[in-house]
Amino acid sequence: MHIPDGFLSPSVCITGYALTGGVTWQCLRQIDRDRDIQANIPKASLLTAAFFVASLINIPIPPTSIHLIFNGLMGALLGYYAFPAILIGLFFQAVMFQHGGMSTLGVNAIILGTPAIAAYYLFQQRHLLRDKKPFLTTILSFASGAGALLLSATMFAILLVTNISPDMDINAERTAIFISLGGYGIQAVIEGVFTVMLISFLERVKPELLNS
Amino acid sequence: MNKLYFILSLLVLTTVPKQVLAHGANIEYRETSAINIQAKYDDGTPMANAQVVIYAPSDRTTPWLKGTTDQSGNFTFVPDTNAENIGNWDVKVRQSGHGDITSIPVSKEAENAAITQLSSDGSDYTSAQKAVMAAAGVWGFIGTALFFSRSKSSKLD
Repeated sequence: MHIPDGFLSPSVCITGYALTGGVTWQCLRQIDRDRDIQANIPKASLLTAAFFVASLINIPIPPTSIHLIFNGLMGALLGYYAFPAILIGLFFQAVMFQHGGMSTLGVNAIILGTPAIAAYYLFQQRHLLRDKKPFLTTILSFASGAGALLLSATMFAILLVTNISPDMDINAERTAIFISLGGYGIQAVIEGVFTVMLISFLERVKPELLNS
Repeated sequence: MNKLYFILSLLVLTTVPKQVLAHGANIEYRETSAINIQAKYDDGTPMANAQVVIYAPSDRTTPWLKGTTDQSGNFTFVPDTNAENIGNWDVKVRQSGHGDITSIPVSKEAENAAITQLSSDGSDYTSAQKAVMAAAGVWGFIGTALFFSRSKSSKLD
Protein backbone atom coordinates (compact mmCIF):
# COMPACT_ATOMS: atom_id res chain seq x y z
CA MET A 1 0.00 0.00 0.00
CA HIS A 2 2.99 2.22 -0.51
CA ILE A 3 2.69 4.49 -3.53
CA PRO A 4 6.01 4.54 -5.41
CA ASP A 5 7.62 7.52 -7.09
CA GLY A 6 6.14 8.59 -10.39
CA PHE A 7 2.53 7.64 -9.71
CA LEU A 8 1.26 10.96 -8.47
CA SER A 9 1.49 14.44 -9.86
CA PRO A 10 3.84 16.88 -8.13
CA SER A 11 0.94 18.90 -6.75
CA VAL A 12 -0.48 15.82 -5.00
CA CYS A 13 2.96 14.98 -3.59
CA ILE A 14 3.45 18.51 -2.28
CA THR A 15 -0.03 18.52 -0.75
CA GLY A 16 0.84 15.20 0.90
CA TYR A 17 4.01 16.66 2.41
CA ALA A 18 2.13 19.75 3.60
CA LEU A 19 -0.57 17.67 5.30
CA THR A 20 2.03 15.37 6.82
CA GLY A 21 3.89 18.37 8.15
CA GLY A 22 0.72 19.70 9.77
CA VAL A 23 -0.31 16.38 11.29
CA THR A 24 3.22 15.69 12.56
CA TRP A 25 3.33 19.09 14.23
CA GLN A 26 -0.04 18.49 15.84
CA CYS A 27 1.04 15.04 17.05
CA LEU A 28 4.31 16.39 18.47
CA ARG A 29 2.34 19.03 20.36
CA GLN A 30 0.15 16.30 21.84
CA ILE A 31 3.25 14.26 22.69
CA ASP A 32 4.77 17.29 24.36
CA ARG A 33 1.81 17.33 26.76
CA ASP A 34 2.44 13.69 27.63
CA ARG A 35 3.69 13.35 31.19
CA ASP A 36 5.60 10.18 30.55
CA ILE A 37 7.49 10.74 27.34
CA GLN A 38 10.49 8.78 28.51
CA ALA A 39 8.41 5.64 29.00
CA ASN A 40 6.58 5.97 25.72
CA ILE A 41 9.43 6.67 23.32
CA PRO A 42 10.99 3.20 23.78
CA LYS A 43 7.59 1.65 23.10
CA ALA A 44 7.16 3.79 19.98
CA SER A 45 10.66 2.95 18.85
CA LEU A 46 10.17 -0.79 19.20
CA LEU A 47 6.90 -0.68 17.31
CA THR A 48 8.58 1.37 14.59
CA ALA A 49 11.06 -1.48 14.25
CA ALA A 50 8.17 -3.95 13.90
CA PHE A 51 6.46 -1.71 11.34
CA PHE A 52 9.71 -1.34 9.42
CA VAL A 53 10.32 -5.08 9.03
CA ALA A 54 6.67 -6.11 8.68
CA SER A 55 6.60 -4.65 5.18
CA LEU A 56 9.30 -7.09 4.08
CA ILE A 57 7.03 -10.05 4.74
CA ASN A 58 5.05 -10.75 1.60
CA ILE A 59 1.80 -12.68 1.55
CA PRO A 60 0.80 -13.62 -1.99
CA ILE A 61 -2.88 -12.92 -2.57
CA PRO A 62 -3.51 -12.93 -6.32
CA PRO A 63 -3.37 -10.81 -8.37
CA THR A 64 -0.90 -8.95 -6.20
CA SER A 65 0.94 -9.75 -3.06
CA ILE A 66 0.35 -7.90 0.15
CA HIS A 67 2.60 -7.11 3.04
CA LEU A 68 1.60 -6.46 6.60
CA ILE A 69 1.24 -2.87 7.74
CA PHE A 70 0.00 -2.90 11.37
CA ASN A 71 -0.92 0.78 11.37
CA GLY A 72 -4.08 0.10 13.40
CA LEU A 73 -2.06 -1.82 15.97
CA MET A 74 0.41 1.04 16.21
CA GLY A 75 -2.40 3.56 16.65
CA ALA A 76 -4.07 1.51 19.38
CA LEU A 77 -0.83 1.04 21.31
CA LEU A 78 0.93 4.34 20.69
CA GLY A 79 -1.72 7.02 20.29
CA TYR A 80 -0.21 10.20 18.91
CA TYR A 81 3.23 8.63 18.81
CA ALA A 82 1.97 6.41 15.98
CA PHE A 83 2.05 9.09 13.31
CA PRO A 84 5.71 10.13 13.70
CA ALA A 85 6.61 6.46 14.18
CA ILE A 86 4.96 5.52 10.88
CA LEU A 87 6.57 8.50 9.16
CA ILE A 88 10.02 7.38 10.33
CA GLY A 89 9.33 3.76 9.39
CA LEU A 90 8.18 4.80 5.91
CA PHE A 91 11.28 6.94 5.44
CA PHE A 92 13.55 3.99 6.16
CA GLN A 93 11.51 1.66 3.95
CA ALA A 94 11.71 4.12 1.08
CA VAL A 95 15.43 4.77 1.44
CA MET A 96 16.59 1.22 2.13
CA PHE A 97 14.21 -0.93 0.14
CA GLN A 98 12.63 1.48 -2.37
CA HIS A 99 9.37 0.54 -0.76
CA GLY A 100 7.32 3.62 -1.47
CA GLY A 101 9.23 6.65 -2.62
CA MET A 102 10.72 9.87 -1.35
CA SER A 103 8.39 12.06 -3.40
CA THR A 104 5.36 10.18 -2.13
CA LEU A 105 6.54 9.93 1.48
CA GLY A 106 4.09 12.62 2.60
CA VAL A 107 1.16 11.01 0.81
CA ASN A 108 2.04 7.57 2.17
CA ALA A 109 2.33 8.95 5.70
CA ILE A 110 -1.17 10.41 5.40
CA ILE A 111 -2.54 7.15 3.95
CA LEU A 112 -1.08 4.99 6.72
CA GLY A 113 -0.71 7.45 9.59
CA THR A 114 -4.07 9.17 9.90
CA PRO A 115 -6.00 5.85 10.14
CA ALA A 116 -3.63 4.97 13.00
CA ILE A 117 -4.78 8.07 14.90
CA ALA A 118 -8.39 7.11 14.13
CA ALA A 119 -7.67 3.62 15.49
CA TYR A 120 -6.33 5.21 18.67
CA TYR A 121 -9.56 7.14 19.22
CA LEU A 122 -11.58 4.02 18.51
CA PHE A 123 -9.53 1.94 20.91
CA GLN A 124 -9.88 4.56 23.64
CA GLN A 125 -13.63 3.93 23.62
CA ARG A 126 -12.98 0.84 25.73
CA HIS A 127 -12.84 3.13 28.75
CA LEU A 128 -16.52 4.00 28.24
CA LEU A 129 -17.80 0.88 29.92
CA ARG A 130 -16.63 -0.46 33.23
CA ASP A 131 -18.17 -3.90 32.89
CA LYS A 132 -17.65 -6.48 30.18
CA LYS A 133 -14.32 -4.91 29.52
CA PRO A 134 -12.49 -7.94 28.08
CA PHE A 135 -15.15 -8.48 25.45
CA LEU A 136 -15.30 -4.81 24.54
CA THR A 137 -11.52 -4.66 24.34
CA THR A 138 -11.49 -7.62 21.95
CA ILE A 139 -14.09 -6.03 19.69
CA LEU A 140 -12.37 -2.66 19.72
CA SER A 141 -8.92 -4.06 19.11
CA PHE A 142 -10.18 -6.01 16.11
CA ALA A 143 -12.04 -2.96 14.85
CA SER A 144 -9.02 -0.70 15.21
CA GLY A 145 -6.65 -3.18 13.57
CA ALA A 146 -8.93 -4.04 10.66
CA GLY A 147 -10.62 -0.65 10.36
CA ALA A 148 -7.38 1.32 10.11
CA LEU A 149 -6.19 -0.95 7.32
CA LEU A 150 -9.47 -0.67 5.43
CA LEU A 151 -9.41 3.10 5.82
CA SER A 152 -5.86 3.15 4.44
CA ALA A 153 -6.83 0.89 1.56
CA THR A 154 -9.77 3.14 0.71
CA MET A 155 -7.61 6.26 0.73
CA PHE A 156 -5.00 4.43 -1.34
CA ALA A 157 -7.56 3.31 -3.92
CA ILE A 158 -9.21 6.72 -4.18
CA LEU A 159 -5.85 8.43 -4.68
CA LEU A 160 -4.80 5.94 -7.34
CA VAL A 161 -8.10 5.93 -9.21
CA THR A 162 -8.16 9.71 -9.37
CA ASN A 163 -4.52 9.85 -10.46
CA ILE A 164 -4.29 7.23 -13.18
CA SER A 165 -1.92 8.45 -15.84
CA PRO A 166 -3.86 9.24 -19.02
CA ASP A 167 -1.44 7.08 -20.99
CA MET A 168 -2.78 4.01 -19.24
CA ASP A 169 -5.83 2.00 -20.06
CA ILE A 170 -7.90 3.66 -17.37
CA ASN A 171 -10.61 1.03 -17.14
CA ALA A 172 -8.19 -1.88 -16.88
CA GLU A 173 -6.19 -0.11 -14.21
CA ARG A 174 -9.33 0.84 -12.30
CA THR A 175 -10.49 -2.78 -12.35
CA ALA A 176 -7.08 -3.94 -11.12
CA ILE A 177 -7.26 -1.45 -8.25
CA PHE A 178 -10.74 -2.58 -7.24
CA ILE A 179 -9.68 -6.23 -7.38
CA SER A 180 -6.72 -5.45 -5.14
CA LEU A 181 -9.17 -4.01 -2.60
CA GLY A 182 -10.42 -7.58 -2.12
CA GLY A 183 -6.89 -8.60 -1.12
CA TYR A 184 -6.80 -5.74 1.37
CA GLY A 185 -10.07 -7.01 2.84
CA ILE A 186 -8.36 -10.31 3.64
CA GLN A 187 -5.36 -8.43 4.98
CA ALA A 188 -7.66 -6.37 7.22
CA VAL A 189 -8.98 -9.56 8.82
CA ILE A 190 -5.42 -10.87 9.30
CA GLU A 191 -4.28 -7.64 10.92
CA GLY A 192 -7.43 -7.38 13.03
CA VAL A 193 -6.89 -10.89 14.41
CA PHE A 194 -3.23 -10.15 15.07
CA THR A 195 -4.15 -6.95 16.90
CA VAL A 196 -6.62 -8.87 19.10
CA MET A 197 -3.99 -11.49 19.88
CA LEU A 198 -1.26 -9.00 20.74
CA ILE A 199 -3.49 -6.76 22.82
CA SER A 200 -4.99 -9.62 24.82
CA PHE A 201 -1.46 -10.93 25.37
CA LEU A 202 -0.26 -7.53 26.58
CA GLU A 203 -3.30 -7.18 28.79
CA ARG A 204 -2.35 -10.34 30.62
CA VAL A 205 1.41 -9.82 30.69
CA LYS A 206 2.03 -6.10 30.80
CA PRO A 207 -1.27 -4.18 31.01
CA GLU A 208 0.47 -0.87 31.75
CA LEU A 209 1.63 -0.78 28.14
CA LEU A 210 -1.95 -0.30 27.02
CA ASN A 211 -2.58 2.79 29.09
CA SER A 212 -1.18 5.35 26.77
CA MET B 1 7.21 -1.90 -4.45
CA ASN B 2 8.09 -3.83 -7.40
CA LYS B 3 11.28 -4.46 -9.03
CA LEU B 4 11.64 -5.03 -12.66
CA TYR B 5 14.27 -7.10 -14.23
CA PHE B 6 15.02 -6.07 -17.70
CA ILE B 7 16.68 -8.46 -19.97
CA LEU B 8 17.98 -7.02 -23.16
CA SER B 9 18.38 -9.80 -25.56
CA LEU B 10 18.88 -10.29 -29.21
CA LEU B 11 16.07 -12.08 -30.91
CA VAL B 12 16.07 -13.23 -34.45
CA LEU B 13 12.89 -11.97 -35.88
CA THR B 14 10.59 -12.16 -38.78
CA THR B 15 10.62 -13.99 -41.92
CA VAL B 16 8.89 -11.46 -44.04
CA PRO B 17 7.26 -12.78 -47.18
CA LYS B 18 7.52 -9.81 -49.39
CA GLN B 19 5.61 -10.88 -52.42
CA VAL B 20 3.75 -14.00 -53.30
CA LEU B 21 3.88 -14.79 -56.99
CA ALA B 22 1.95 -17.47 -58.80
CA HIS B 23 4.10 -20.42 -57.93
CA GLY B 24 7.26 -19.06 -56.53
CA ALA B 25 7.85 -17.85 -53.03
CA ASN B 26 10.39 -15.43 -51.85
CA ILE B 27 11.45 -15.27 -48.29
CA GLU B 28 13.41 -12.37 -47.00
CA TYR B 29 14.66 -12.06 -43.56
CA ARG B 30 16.48 -9.59 -41.47
CA GLU B 31 17.82 -9.63 -38.00
CA THR B 32 16.61 -7.05 -35.57
CA SER B 33 17.11 -6.71 -31.92
CA ALA B 34 14.17 -6.74 -29.64
CA ILE B 35 13.93 -5.81 -26.03
CA ASN B 36 12.42 -8.29 -23.69
CA ILE B 37 11.39 -7.09 -20.28
CA GLN B 38 10.29 -9.12 -17.35
CA ALA B 39 8.35 -7.48 -14.58
CA LYS B 40 8.39 -9.04 -11.15
CA TYR B 41 7.26 -8.11 -7.70
CA ASP B 42 9.72 -7.72 -4.88
CA ASP B 43 9.25 -11.30 -3.80
CA GLY B 44 9.89 -12.65 -7.28
CA THR B 45 6.32 -13.34 -8.38
CA PRO B 46 5.81 -12.17 -11.96
CA MET B 47 3.50 -9.26 -12.66
CA ALA B 48 0.96 -10.96 -14.91
CA ASN B 49 -1.24 -8.84 -17.19
CA ALA B 50 0.34 -5.61 -16.02
CA GLN B 51 0.07 -2.59 -18.28
CA VAL B 52 3.18 -1.58 -20.16
CA VAL B 53 3.65 1.84 -21.72
CA ILE B 54 6.74 2.60 -23.75
CA TYR B 55 8.05 6.05 -24.64
CA ALA B 56 10.53 6.61 -27.44
CA PRO B 57 13.39 9.07 -26.96
CA SER B 58 12.02 11.33 -29.70
CA ASP B 59 8.76 11.96 -27.87
CA ARG B 60 8.67 11.41 -24.15
CA THR B 61 5.11 12.53 -23.59
CA THR B 62 3.11 10.39 -26.02
CA PRO B 63 3.28 6.63 -25.63
CA TRP B 64 5.08 4.89 -28.48
CA LEU B 65 3.56 1.55 -27.67
CA LYS B 66 1.09 0.19 -25.13
CA GLY B 67 0.54 -3.40 -24.15
CA THR B 68 0.24 -5.86 -21.33
CA THR B 69 2.63 -8.41 -19.95
CA ASP B 70 1.91 -12.12 -20.29
CA GLN B 71 1.28 -14.55 -17.46
CA SER B 72 4.95 -14.70 -16.56
CA GLY B 73 5.41 -10.93 -16.63
CA ASN B 74 7.19 -10.85 -20.00
CA PHE B 75 6.80 -8.23 -22.66
CA THR B 76 8.80 -7.92 -25.87
CA PHE B 77 9.03 -5.02 -28.24
CA VAL B 78 11.24 -4.01 -31.16
CA PRO B 79 12.45 -0.44 -30.81
CA ASP B 80 12.96 1.36 -34.10
CA THR B 81 16.54 2.46 -34.44
CA ASN B 82 15.97 5.63 -36.41
CA ALA B 83 18.43 8.36 -35.69
CA GLU B 84 15.98 10.30 -33.55
CA ASN B 85 15.20 7.25 -31.47
CA ILE B 86 18.74 6.52 -30.35
CA GLY B 87 18.90 7.02 -26.64
CA ASN B 88 17.01 5.94 -23.59
CA TRP B 89 13.65 4.32 -24.04
CA ASP B 90 11.40 4.69 -21.04
CA VAL B 91 9.36 1.69 -20.06
CA LYS B 92 6.60 2.04 -17.52
CA VAL B 93 4.87 -0.97 -15.94
CA ARG B 94 1.82 -0.55 -13.76
CA GLN B 95 -0.58 -2.80 -11.93
CA SER B 96 -3.03 -1.66 -9.29
CA GLY B 97 -0.79 0.91 -7.75
CA HIS B 98 2.36 -1.13 -8.11
CA GLY B 99 4.88 -0.58 -10.81
CA ASP B 100 7.99 1.12 -11.88
CA ILE B 101 9.59 3.08 -14.64
CA THR B 102 13.00 2.43 -16.13
CA SER B 103 15.20 3.59 -18.97
CA ILE B 104 16.71 1.21 -21.48
CA PRO B 105 19.56 2.56 -23.60
CA VAL B 106 19.18 1.72 -27.29
CA SER B 107 22.10 2.33 -29.63
CA LYS B 108 22.42 2.16 -33.38
CA GLU B 109 24.70 -0.83 -33.16
CA ALA B 110 22.29 -2.98 -31.28
CA GLU B 111 24.18 -6.10 -32.08
CA ASN B 112 25.67 -6.45 -28.69
CA ALA B 113 23.59 -9.35 -27.62
CA ALA B 114 24.86 -9.31 -24.13
CA ILE B 115 22.18 -9.89 -21.61
CA THR B 116 22.02 -6.80 -19.54
CA GLN B 117 20.24 -7.05 -16.32
CA LEU B 118 19.05 -3.67 -15.33
CA SER B 119 17.39 -3.19 -12.10
CA SER B 120 15.02 -0.33 -12.44
CA ASP B 121 16.03 1.39 -9.26
CA GLY B 122 19.44 -0.03 -8.55
CA SER B 123 18.12 -1.92 -5.58
CA ASP B 124 18.96 -5.38 -6.72
CA TYR B 125 19.97 -6.58 -3.30
CA THR B 126 20.33 -10.20 -2.41
CA SER B 127 18.20 -11.50 0.40
CA ALA B 128 21.26 -11.65 2.64
CA GLN B 129 21.92 -7.97 2.00
CA LYS B 130 18.30 -7.18 2.69
CA ALA B 131 18.39 -9.16 5.91
CA VAL B 132 21.48 -7.30 7.12
CA MET B 133 19.95 -3.95 6.18
CA ALA B 134 16.73 -4.83 7.97
CA ALA B 135 18.67 -6.02 11.00
CA ALA B 136 20.71 -2.80 11.04
CA GLY B 137 17.54 -0.72 10.84
CA VAL B 138 15.85 -2.70 13.56
CA TRP B 139 18.88 -2.43 15.78
CA GLY B 140 18.79 1.32 15.30
CA PHE B 141 15.22 1.43 16.61
CA ILE B 142 16.02 -0.93 19.49
CA GLY B 143 19.03 1.19 20.33
CA THR B 144 16.79 4.25 20.43
CA ALA B 145 14.43 2.38 22.72
CA LEU B 146 17.28 1.36 25.03
CA PHE B 147 18.64 4.90 25.05
CA PHE B 148 15.34 6.38 26.16
CA SER B 149 14.59 3.62 28.63
CA ARG B 150 17.85 3.95 30.54
CA SER B 151 17.19 4.43 34.18
CA LYS B 152 17.45 7.80 35.85
CA SER B 153 20.27 6.63 38.14
CA SER B 154 22.50 5.64 35.25
CA LYS B 155 21.89 9.06 33.73
CA LEU B 156 23.51 10.65 36.77
CA ASP B 157 26.70 8.64 36.40
